[in-house]
Amino acid sequence: MQRHVTLRLFRRGPAAEVTLTLLVLLAIVLLFTDATWTKTNPVRQAIATTLYPFQRAVLFPRDMLKMANEWVNAAALIKSENEALQRQRITLAQVSTNAALLSAENTQLRRLLGVLETAVDRPTVVVEVLYEPVNAFTRRIVFNKGSRAGIAQGMPVIDESGVVGQITRVTPMSSEAAMLTDEIVSIPVQVLRNGLRLIAFGSSAPGKVEVRYFSSDADIREGDQLVTSGVGGVFPAGLAVGRVDHVERNPASGFARAEAQPASHPERHRHFLVLQVPTGDGLTSLPSAATISSTGLAGATDKTK
Amino acid sequence: MPMAHDVGPESVETTSGVGYVWATMLLVWVLSLLPWRVWHAAPELLLLVITFWSLHDSRRVGMLVAFLFGLTLDVHDVGPLGLQALMFVLTVYGAQAMQRRVLRFDLLQQSIHLLPVFVGAKLVTVLIGSFLVSAWPGWSWLFSALLTTACWPLVSWLLLLPQHRLDDAEGGST
Repeated sequence: MQRHVTLRLFRRGPAAEVTLTLLVLLAIVLLFTDATWTKTNPVRQAIATTLYPFQRAVLFPRDMLKMANEWVNAAALIKSENEALQRQRITLAQVSTNAALLSAENTQLRRLLGVLETAVDRPTVVVEVLYEPVNAFTRRIVFNKGSRAGIAQGMPVIDESGVVGQITRVTPMSSEAAMLTDEIVSIPVQVLRNGLRLIAFGSSAPGKVEVRYFSSDADIREGDQLVTSGVGGVFPAGLAVGRVDHVERNPASGFARAEAQPASHPERHRHFLVLQVPTGDGLTSLPSAATISSTGLAGATDKTK
Repeated sequence: MPMAHDVGPESVETTSGVGYVWATMLLVWVLSLLPWRVWHAAPELLLLVITFWSLHDSRRVGMLVAFLFGLTLDVHDVGPLGLQALMFVLTVYGAQAMQRRVLRFDLLQQSIHLLPVFVGAKLVTVLIGSFLVSAWPGWSWLFSALLTTACWPLVSWLLLLPQHRLDDAEGGST
């Protein structure tokens, strides 16, 4: 018995410590590369492509149950949806006639002032949530359409109430988006009341958006509506971002910080719209994780939970 | 009649077929793709099964297999590539380092031996993860590691069931 054990000891592969060191080094290299550059994307894409059939297979029962539930409750569902849509249609009809008037007035004023015409309507892609990944550190959603449907990294994602987030990664069949409350996303915003231009970041506090880097005497207060300002060319102007719920002014440093509640409710819906904004010219790509950690350290004034 | 805590690692290792080992791992892996892991304190069932087989069938299931499974979970969870892989590798190394000692005990005592392995590997993962995002994610990971350890006796017993039946059958035939 003892000899048997000794023989097997010799026949074992490389010593456990060697394998451990190699694999730990490999893991650390992957972590570092993944956090700083996008060079690990091919690896991710390869694994995600092989995972995709398993993910669809495993989510198949849930989709079947959903379909069965909808089929059984079809009549009641359609009736309630219909009523909700009718109500929405009436309020929107009012808004759209007003918008048409304002648009005509706007064009005339622009012509009078000699200002250039603004951007045209962008093509969009309707996507559905495939699943929400488990992650203690980030808030992401995975959609069921990818680069094959024309989605690229950096494109904004919206729902009917406002901005939901930004696409961070695409594979041929799926895409991942970071919600606007995730620290990786920063949106140029404008206060609706007075046009003050600011930048909104994802906050470390869960479910909130943080406005940073503005001076202590800026005219922003609780209840202010934040909308996208269109600066930067990624997020089109006028999309609702959130509502400020408190402002922290620090007279000692001269800077202030505001927290806003996002306008969109991505957890309530399954379908979202991805705006196909042209990206990839270097100016409109997402910040890498290296800049996130540095802004996270620099911008953190009071991160106690 | 051989009891669970009398069986040495050598004889246990030879009675599990390759198909059974990989079938259980792949089944739990596919189940891990479902959204029940949204609960932050969810036990790491895939890690449990891989650790079990790394103890009972260390020739076939080792740190490399653990690394690859961890990598697929990283991609599925949209997390930093290599984080879960690191946790799986550290857990399997820790378990295999005390393989001969652990397998001499019964299942409940095994889980006490493995507690520092599970908690330690998870702690390293959480530290690296929070370093990458400059934020502490709370203490729910500790519940997850404790729950994982608590599930060890149950999972081990379930995975050993076919072998108990085999042993019983062999014992009955003689």
